[in-house]
Amino acid sequence: MDMDAQTLIARKHSQALHQGFRRWPRMGHAPPALGDRRWTADLILSTWLQAEGGAPEEFGLEYRVGASGGGFDRLAFRSLPREARLPADAAIDTAIVLNRRPYDGRVEIPVPWYGSGMSYGSVSEQVMLARAMAAKSWDTFTCTGEGGYPDSLFPYRDHVITQIATGLFGVREEIIQWAPIVEFKYAQGAKPGLGGHLLGDKATMAVARMRGSVPWVSLFSPFPFHSVYSVEDHRKHLDWIKTVNPEALLSVKVSTPVDIDMVAVGSYYAGAHILQIDGSYGGTGAAPEIAKKNIAMPVEYAIPRVHRYLLEERIRDEIVIVASGGIRTAHDVAKAIALGADGCALGTTELVALGCTRCSNCERGRGCPFGLTTTDPELSLLTDPEWGAERISNLYASMRDQLVEILRRLGLSSVGELRGRTDLLQYVSDESVGDGEVGYDVEG
Amino acid sequence: MSTYRRYRIPTEPAAHRAPHPNRFCVEVNRLELAKLLLHELLHYRRRLSVIASRPCVYGVFSGPIGGFAPRPEHCVGCLRCTVEYPEVVQIRPNPERMQLGDSCFTPDLVDTVLYEASTGRVPVRGAGYRGPFGGEGWDALWTDMSEIVRPTRDGIHGREHISTEVDLGAKPRMLTFDDRGAPLGRGPTVVSLAVPLLLDRAPQVVESRGLYEVYRRAARTLDTLAVIPLSRAKGMQEVGPEVVPLVTSSEVDELLSLGWAPRVVELDGWDGAAYGALSQGLPRSLICVRLPMNQELRALAREGVRFFHLVADYHGRAGGRHAVDLLRERHHELVAAGLREQVTLVGSGGIVAAEHVPKAIICGLDAVALDTPLLIALQARFLGEVREPDSARVEVPELDQDWAVQRLLNLVASWRDQLLEILGAMGLREVRRLRGELGRAMFQAELEREALAGIAGFRS
Repeated sequence: MDMDAQTLIARKHSQALHQGFRRWPRMGHAPPALGDRRWTADLILSTWLQAEGGAPEEFGLEYRVGASGGGFDRLAFRSLPREARLPADAAIDTAIVLNRRPYDGRVEIPVPWYGSGMSYGSVSEQVMLARAMAAKSWDTFTCTGEGGYPDSLFPYRDHVITQIATGLFGVREEIIQWAPIVEFKYAQGAKPGLGGHLLGDKATMAVARMRGSVPWVSLFSPFPFHSVYSVEDHRKHLDWIKTVNPEALLSVKVSTPVDIDMVAVGSYYAGAHILQIDGSYGGTGAAPEIAKKNIAMPVEYAIPRVHRYLLEERIRDEIVIVASGGIRTAHDVAKAIALGADGCALGTTELVALGCTRCSNCERGRGCPFGLTTTDPELSLLTDPEWGAERISNLYASMRDQLVEILRRLGLSSVGELRGRTDLLQYVSDESVGDGEVGYDVEG
Repeated sequence: MSTYRRYRIPTEPAAHRAPHPNRFCVEVNRLELAKLLLHELLHYRRRLSVIASRPCVYGVFSGPIGGFAPRPEHCVGCLRCTVEYPEVVQIRPNPERMQLGDSCFTPDLVDTVLYEASTGRVPVRGAGYRGPFGGEGWDALWTDMSEIVRPTRDGIHGREHISTEVDLGAKPRMLTFDDRGAPLGRGPTVVSLAVPLLLDRAPQVVESRGLYEVYRRAARTLDTLAVIPLSRAKGMQEVGPEVVPLVTSSEVDELLSLGWAPRVVELDGWDGAAYGALSQGLPRSLICVRLPMNQELRALAREGVRFFHLVADYHGRAGGRHAVDLLRERHHELVAAGLREQVTLVGSGGIVAAEHVPKAIICGLDAVALDTPLLIALQARFLGEVREPDSARVEVPELDQDWAVQRLLNLVASWRDQLLEILGAMGLREVRRLRGELGRAMFQAELEREALAGIAGFRS
């Protein structure tokens, strides 16, 4: 096919898709097959709406919770009575610092979230670029995932976290030196304990070149690091990064086993600035179905466990806890912080903003039919990086507005004050919903 | 010369034979489609490749007349078409598919088992978990994983072997030796299986010689056991070591008169006299007692019974309680009596997905006997709720024996591979170590109590 035709085809479909993303949230009904218990049709459509620049509460969509019947979907905030809330024009600080150690540089982000790792190969270069552009415009971060660092990300390097994972795919000295934060991924919530897996169909020539592997052959990142058998080994890894890039902050991404509290303490003593706990209900990449619900605990349970244990160990204020794996909305972010996290990392939410319908066909054949989780040269043209960056930025803006509103209703002038405040949460039981006693914004 | 043979289940594609409902219905408004095409003809003029480009990469609209005759069997529900052209096409979940299975064996689980049976592969999908947060029964339980400091690694992707071998039967508490170092008394009397999955009897309504022949052949290839009622087993062309005759008390004499010494005999219900007769008449056979899962075992174990098959209904319940609770109770009961290591527990009922196997083993089983998943793998249709073996209404299609055997091999291969995934994630090198490993299980009620304690409105 000649290039003009290919460009025209991409344009034809991307225009139709953009129109669809704009129209569907406003149609008063959802596509009948859209959504699931965790990401309901309303959540997906309201995310599209926010990515478009709209206010989430428009059109009567439930934008705060899903219908999973547990975790964040069972929690609400105990807002103050109206007269006790902060005034609408009150200055509310949503920034968090990512280094609480008394040494190394101060890094602050204006919103308590950044982009979670999604590798080149699992997503297209266009998607990576869109995320990096949005991260730059919000002065926050995005993460490479384990799959290398495309050259196109270089202009955004001050906002790109370099991930090093067990397969060391695409790891080069310079991408460690460029990074303000280097993330060691020990495990991921999508497939805890199973390592990474890029199916052969997605290991294209370009992906294989970037990863230093053989094209069209499935790639496994083994689990866990072969060189880490102890906290001391872990420390050696972090020291290695510090040697290559003394300025970098160190993040450690782990999953949520029974002993997540001990893992957190180990990471602290190994020198991590950030501990990212990745719950088992998130994940964007292909994973065995058995791994998704059945291995490791949801992040809602892991956050308070880690927070309380670090408090008891009197080291809580020296390490930043970032929660991920199932963070869908601004309300989830706020609830995660109220449970004890400092901030969150977003993955699927950003993909939904770019048009993901969560159809779960990421791994099938050429990959995502929306051009997101694919490196197919034709399909990936469906995502224009600038369009994508604008949508993610719009979503961030909407999420920040919602976070400010939550804090205002709680009478808090900074997001830091929300950390660990489980007293501001309300458990929403079946009975209370049924009785109409409480909704998702409870006056305490 | 070494006789070591790495265990491997021969899988090969075995496509569905009976019609299976599509996941989605594709509804095209032909008038709107014609208008769209006309518009594109004018807009893109002669660029036929652009006009012919369809909003589907799976071929739903790639038939000879495109969207005018869509092919819903290709639809995977990505919704790209309906996002692009809401007036032209709608994708709906197929109501016919929602009739599959029953309230326990849900349509999604049916689809998963059918995929496993047709391919032998581990289901892999993107975009994370889509279901309810937790729930009852197996859904109220998560398995642990190892993070960085546990020693076992790589089992599923290479270097280390993870064993799924289990030993069924009687194991003495300890071995004793005489002055010359020779063992005294009776040593372990066990049957070792390469995979902790047995094939359990079918509901009465579908029992047939042909079906049990499929079970028997599959069990032989799998190096496992098939539990088959004596009345059916004795009519089979061939009964090998893979056949476990299931006998009632009144059938014991008949079995003994056959001159057949199976490796394992299963006695349906407790009858001391029948058990004694079997033990005496078949001294080289293991005698397993089939009991409801809610029946206490301690007294029988103290009397010397060493092998139990605990049965719940097909929804995993016995006496109104779920297997998750009952199995832990049976396991702890034997642990408290100091007998657990000497006794084998096999369980069945309500184990309808691959993840239920490791969860059942964590709760205390040594091995699992499969029941309704075998029927689903063979494309059986449930007619209403399938709960009890004697009242279940199930339709099994006419079986091509080779195809049916292959479907069961594929199913077990897939479930074993998924068991390996769980074991690998946990850092365990053998499934025997998973049994009763409750310290590596996480229960929703306990996690919730710990995480949400103190939050207003939360009651544990």
